Amino acid sequence: MDVDMKLADNIAMRNSSVHIPPLIVREASPIPESDLMQNKIELVDFSFYYGKFRAIGNINLAMPVHKITAIIGPSGCGKSTLLRAINRMNDLTPGVRTEGQILLDGEDLYQPGTDVVDIRRRVGMVFQRPNPFPKSIYDNVAYGPRLYGVRRKSELDMIVEGSLQQAALWDEVKDKLRQSGMALSGGQQQRLCIARALAVQPEVILMDEPASALDPVATLKIEELMQVLKDSYTIIIVTHNMQQAARVSDFTAFMMIDSPQTRTGVLVEYGPTPQIFTNPKHPQTENYVTGRFG
Amino acid sequence: MITLATYPVIVLRSGTGYRRRKTTNVLMLVITGLLTLAALIPLFWIISYVLYKGGQYINLAFFTQMPRPLGMEGGGVLHAIEGTLVLTLLAALIAIPPGVIAAFYVAYNPNKPLGVAVRFGTDVLSGVPSIVIGLFGYALIVKAQGHYSALAGGVALAILMLPTIIRTTEEMIKLVPHTLREGSLALGAPEWKTALSVTLPAAANGIITGFLLGLARASGETAPLLFTALGNESYEIGRIINSGIAGKQGIFAILDRVLDQPVDSLPLTLWKYAQQPFPERISQSWAVALVLMLIVLLLNIVARLWVQIQTNRLQGK
Repeated sequence: MDVDMKLADNIAMRNSSVHIPPLIVREASPIPESDLMQNKIELVDFSFYYGKFRAIGNINLAMPVHKITAIIGPSGCGKSTLLRAINRMNDLTPGVRTEGQILLDGEDLYQPGTDVVDIRRRVGMVFQRPNPFPKSIYDNVAYGPRLYGVRRKSELDMIVEGSLQQAALWDEVKDKLRQSGMALSGGQQQRLCIARALAVQPEVILMDEPASALDPVATLKIEELMQVLKDSYTIIIVTHNMQQAARVSDFTAFMMIDSPQTRTGVLVEYGPTPQIFTNPKHPQTENYVTGRFG
Repeated sequence: MITLATYPVIVLRSGTGYRRRKTTNVLMLVITGLLTLAALIPLFWIISYVLYKGGQYINLAFFTQMPRPLGMEGGGVLHAIEGTLVLTLLAALIAIPPGVIAAFYVAYNPNKPLGVAVRFGTDVLSGVPSIVIGLFGYALIVKAQGHYSALAGGVALAILMLPTIIRTTEEMIKLVPHTLREGSLALGAPEWKTALSVTLPAAANGIITGFLLGLARASGETAPLLFTALGNESYEIGRIINSGIAGKQGIFAILDRVLDQPVDSLPLTLWKYAQQPFPERISQSWAVALVLMLIVLLLNIVARLWVQIQTNRLQGK
């Protein structure tokens, strides 16, 4: 399926009143040649510690640009820790330590002297529960740009409208931009949070189970949105929902804890999504994706 | 065999047990109801008695006129109303900024030594008798200045308010979901910016309620003012303003006059009037009690209304 067709598909889906999520896993496409595919984010022997506890260990993973990479695995396997390591949100927890590297466009995010603010601008994040600020819809979206010094009203208006349009929320809120963002429905709130993340023009968007608190219709809207957004952004999503991973992602990483004693999350298998779901190489992956455990 | 599933059926079916539970239920309901009424009796007694005694004397002049010389009829307590406003406003201005900042520190660093120390300190401070705080204000400011003043009273009340402000603000900050803070930090906002423009507005309702309750408490305090504000029956802001010193020496001259002289407050006036051997003053002290109660009530109502309006606004109603 090429990009244009997918776009057309999306538009068609949005226009139809009833949405039926395509449950069929897309046919296996050949893995793009590595020299053609640019990696946006690369984890090199990355380990993460909360104090003495090694939450994830020796992860090697390359996430290609303008693709959606899904991270799946049972609860407590370190998916979220891995995701939050990519924009250094874990720094907020005291006593954390990392080993190895996470490269963003080839530059290590954890090398001394890295500007965390700059990382977080380039790597946006959407959380599990919609978390709009207790401000108006407009101010929610304008929050980021204002942080980075955009003051002119015309410019802010443009960014707000553009971001809301990209997040497929503009038509629903254009007449009530001054209303509180918390008055929106759950799905709208989540799209508002996506718009808020888009407003600072990130390169990567991390999504931590973005639809787990939403109903199926709102979930589908978010999934459609991801398909549109991946043309401009690199998306990494953590999800508990395997159908969702199969539906939306191009690549899937399966994580698990290495043993019940150490409980360190490790990468079991990583590859194109169709391969992970139809022809996994590792028996544990197969057990997980077929629902035999987890 | 009794399993977990059959257990409730058995209990429900056994008649005596059922009747006993019914009776116990009714009995407990009656007891709790009576005790609740008993707890409300003093409240309504106080309110109605003060209304009855104070209401007889209250009129417009009571709010707008200065006290007459002893033994003369009429007059009001404008000096004490103005004094109460000046003292509580001053106390709020002094206590709120450091209180809120300390509350943020404690809420975010509850386990650091300084955080533990602040929390312990506020607990101790809220238990310090208010007369001791008055004595502290005396030693700190009255002795240094060489005279009693509104400033000293304001500082004493500020110290008294500080624990309330720190603890309520801290609790309210902790109630803000941490995902909100993360949302802001994930956009690259620094911690201070997040605190100011996300956490503080989200917690504003509760914090303002805390302020107003702290104000209500401070405005009702007498003991700390005995050593600091002392009392002043000729305190009249209107006269200071009309005296024209603002034109000659600027607006700060007014502020200086307002803060630099001894001042009365409503509870202080109540305490003094009630001791005087003039029937006029005794009945005036009842009226003062009523005014004081109304002010505290008004502060409470305003606090609740404000919270309600803000909550509705956020929910888009």
